[in-house]
Amino acid sequence: KAMFSGKLQTALLVAGYFVYLLVGAAVFQALERTAEKQEKMAAAQMKEVFLRNFTQLTAAEMEQFMKNLIEAIQNGVYPVGNESQFEESNWDFSNSFFFAGTVVSTIGYGTLHPKTAGGQIFCVFFALFGIPLNIVFLHRVGKMLSLLCKKLGKFLYEKGMRKKKIKFLTLLFFLATGILVFLCLPSVFFQITEGWSYSEGIYFAFITLSTIGFGDYVVGKQPDRKYFSYYRVLVAIWILFGLAWIALLFNL
Amino acid sequence: VLLAAYVGYLGLGAAVLQALERPAEVQAAEHLLREHWELLANHTCLQGPALQRLIEGIIRAYKSGITLQGNTTSLGRWDYSGSFFFSISAITTIGYGNLSPSTAVGRIFCIVFALFGIPLNLVLLNEIGQLMLLGVQHCARRLEEVFHWQNKASFLIKTCALVIGLLLFLLLPPLLFSDKEGWSYEEGFYYSFITLSTIGFGDYVIGMNPDRTYPSWYKNVISLWILFGMAWLALVIKFCIHLLE
Repeated sequence: KAMFSGKLQTALLVAGYFVYLLVGAAVFQALERTAEKQEKMAAAQMKEVFLRNFTQLTAAEMEQFMKNLIEAIQNGVYPVGNESQFEESNWDFSNSFFFAGTVVSTIGYGTLHPKTAGGQIFCVFFALFGIPLNIVFLHRVGKMLSLLCKKLGKFLYEKGMRKKKIKFLTLLFFLATGILVFLCLPSVFFQITEGWSYSEGIYFAFITLSTIGFGDYVVGKQPDRKYFSYYRVLVAIWILFGLAWIALLFNL
Repeated sequence: VLLAAYVGYLGLGAAVLQALERPAEVQAAEHLLREHWELLANHTCLQGPALQRLIEGIIRAYKSGITLQGNTTSLGRWDYSGSFFFSISAITTIGYGNLSPSTAVGRIFCIVFALFGIPLNLVLLNEIGQLMLLGVQHCARRLEEVFHWQNKASFLIKTCALVIGLLLFLLLPPLLFSDKEGWSYEEGFYYSFITLSTIGFGDYVIGMNPDRTYPSWYKNVISLWILFGMAWLALVIKFCIHLLE
């Protein structure tokens, strides 16, 4: 009976975690989408005006254009390309969900961030409850991973190894497979999907899993690449298990 | 001793990063100036594609931390103070990202630096958190002795500590920020929380406005605030986790 309630708890936790992320994504999207659209239009207009008047622009107007451009960029709007850009939004559901994930995991890339006051306040409260939720969730995932290690330990014990040696070996195994699965292999994967070099991939993997999350490298953000549909989901799963692995490492 | 090691570690990282990143930064800024600004000045028949390329160039430069101001580019991001702040953002895992290493060596160093720096940071935060808890418990015991309240004192003190922490770390700093950075109160509050929770988007970063002058004590006080604020917030979150589990 105890095992059943334990499994139920875990299931509830997993469900609750994803529901939390989904709700957050929807709210962020609702709050940020319109503001983004307005800024895009403003930037496109600015570009148009600039092009039309270019030959008669004074140095001061050029200054102003540069300033406006920089401001647009700071707001995450890149006025490259033509009108088709309006269809794709930074705040479509998939991006908002990913954003919600970066908030509760405290990675916080920053390539996408709320610009409306409402979005920012919501973000604060979303994180206030989401971060503990995320930590508890990671604990559970970590427990699953450590079960694997315990099984290995048991197997070795039955083979007659001493306890100290077992501990050392399982730790080593845990470390080595973790590095392989969470750092080395994904970097190779990113080489193919993102066109980064291997060292850039490792850098990205480390910065992400340590939750530093500078945001200088982010998955799925190259404008001239095609990503297969479940790419982001795969990356999210990698981040989840990678974070749990690192959390376990710190507890060992 | 721990504190000294922590500060020393940060200082070391800052120096190394500065040495690694500054030359590259200067080079990139010169490149941007040369290629794009002068191109624009000389060619009077700028067509669509050329404008496109100019904008893309500016975007790329912006992402690597260089902005165009007048005829010069705003440099000095990797000066010592900037590098020190970067080191803090790395080992606290805040990771603003407004400044990030662009040289390969800088990145490798960053990884190694963080690999040892993050545990160091966690240990220090833990220590600070324990000290805070001890202080609170001490106060509770004192109150119990003086007023003979028993259980009520503990609860009262804990809520008091929470409120004081809230004021000190989340509610009062935005006032400082709106004075020094020109942000609204709400933006300052948002920045405070995003920083102390180590999410660190980087959309707001203190001391980055080129049109403002900051007093010399500003960045140091902020660093202290980040340290103690993070320890406090970590305690609060631990408490929330206890409730959840």
